[in-house]
Amino acid sequence: MKPFEYYSPQSVTEACTLLAQLGPGAKILAGGTDVLIELRKSTDETAGPVIDISRITSLKGVEESGNTIVIKPLTTHTEILRSALIGTHAPLLKTAAAGIGSPQIRNRGTIGGNIMNAAACADTVPPLIALGARIKLQSSGGERVVALSDFFAKPYVTVAQRGEILVEIRFPKLPPDARSSFIKLGRRNALSISRLSVAAILTRDRSGVITEARIVPGAALPKWHRVADAENLLIGHKPTRELYVEAGKRVSEVMISFTGRRWSTEYKEPVIAVLVRRALEGCR
Amino acid sequence: MKLVLIKTTINSRQYDLEVCPNMTLLDLLRDELGLTGTKRGCEVGECGACTVLLNGQAVNSCLVLAPQIHGQEILTIEGLAEGEKLHPLQESFLDHDAVHCGFCTPGMLMSAKELIDHSPNSSEQEIRTAISGNLCRCSGYQQIVDAIHETKDVRSET
Repeated sequence: MKPFEYYSPQSVTEACTLLAQLGPGAKILAGGTDVLIELRKSTDETAGPVIDISRITSLKGVEESGNTIVIKPLTTHTEILRSALIGTHAPLLKTAAAGIGSPQIRNRGTIGGNIMNAAACADTVPPLIALGARIKLQSSGGERVVALSDFFAKPYVTVAQRGEILVEIRFPKLPPDARSSFIKLGRRNALSISRLSVAAILTRDRSGVITEARIVPGAALPKWHRVADAENLLIGHKPTRELYVEAGKRVSEVMISFTGRRWSTEYKEPVIAVLVRRALEGCR
Repeated sequence: MKLVLIKTTINSRQYDLEVCPNMTLLDLLRDELGLTGTKRGCEVGECGACTVLLNGQAVNSCLVLAPQIHGQEILTIEGLAEGEKLHPLQESFLDHDAVHCGFCTPGMLMSAKELIDHSPNSSEQEIRTAISGNLCRCSGYQQIVDAIHETKDVRSET
């Protein structure tokens, strides 16, 4: 690894000041599961500087605030999957976190890092977008809140400005009658990058009619978002396999309308449709 | 490049160290401290050969920067046995022929230790999940799973 200057701020303010002073080459380090690989690959004179935010205690924890769940960015995937709050109020996020990497990766990797790294295969992002998450960014110039669905420009590129640190993620608790699921398709059972994934949330009324539907595919679109075309097919109807199959096909069509026909389309076109169907069936 | 002063406990022994920040915990253990039981495999967190326990949690030491262990507790394979007395996991691995070439073994044992310290009576599925970040090219995993499943007289250690 090339040499670099290393900083370990104890507060968000200190981290923001450092980030502003150190310029565009500075890398934020939290769990290190992506950053250390980048540092090792660097061919520049210096790989850093590196700002290690892992000791900032105010950036840790999962809390509830009335009807809202607040997740601090240094929360590891292990902490997410063990959190009673998330298990109750956002179970699809727990499922997604449980499938990331391996136990060793989950014990270090953070939800903040998963978001800020913005890989197309990031598994916490589709559930968070389905949950309507909003994130708070802080810099030495102030803070701002962005809807997560507006946060990504393209794979690996967010709209975070230079000097901004992710400090909070929040979303409304799922109502008790909502059912959710997350399906990940990878080449292996573990240590597996998502080839495709689907986050789904369905709410039904007393008579079983779908009143709300949210579908967010992962590793499928250039930018993550809900697929309203497919969601609208479901609303006002009772669940049937045919209905779910149709919704799956619609997601596939929408995907192709964004990506065009690429080398992977022959595979992804039928497979995303099936994954959507399975995800919807999983909302029980 | 400025060196970083750290205090850490490794295998119950306290260390005061000056480390280069561009060193991983794996480099520190093997190259600086001579604790070569922890193995260097892929160095990108995909094989688990470098697994150690950091504050009781299994981590890939190739993905931990040395300064990050300041104030933390590390357990490596060298710290598993008590002198000549093997840990029950180690006894069980030997009894179940779970050690072939031995390269994955330290990492496997550390992942297994985290599991049994928290859940002494895990199911086979839970065991497989616990070692899902540790690759073995020799055994086909069954002997390792059986060894963990059959580990007797487990005492939870801090």
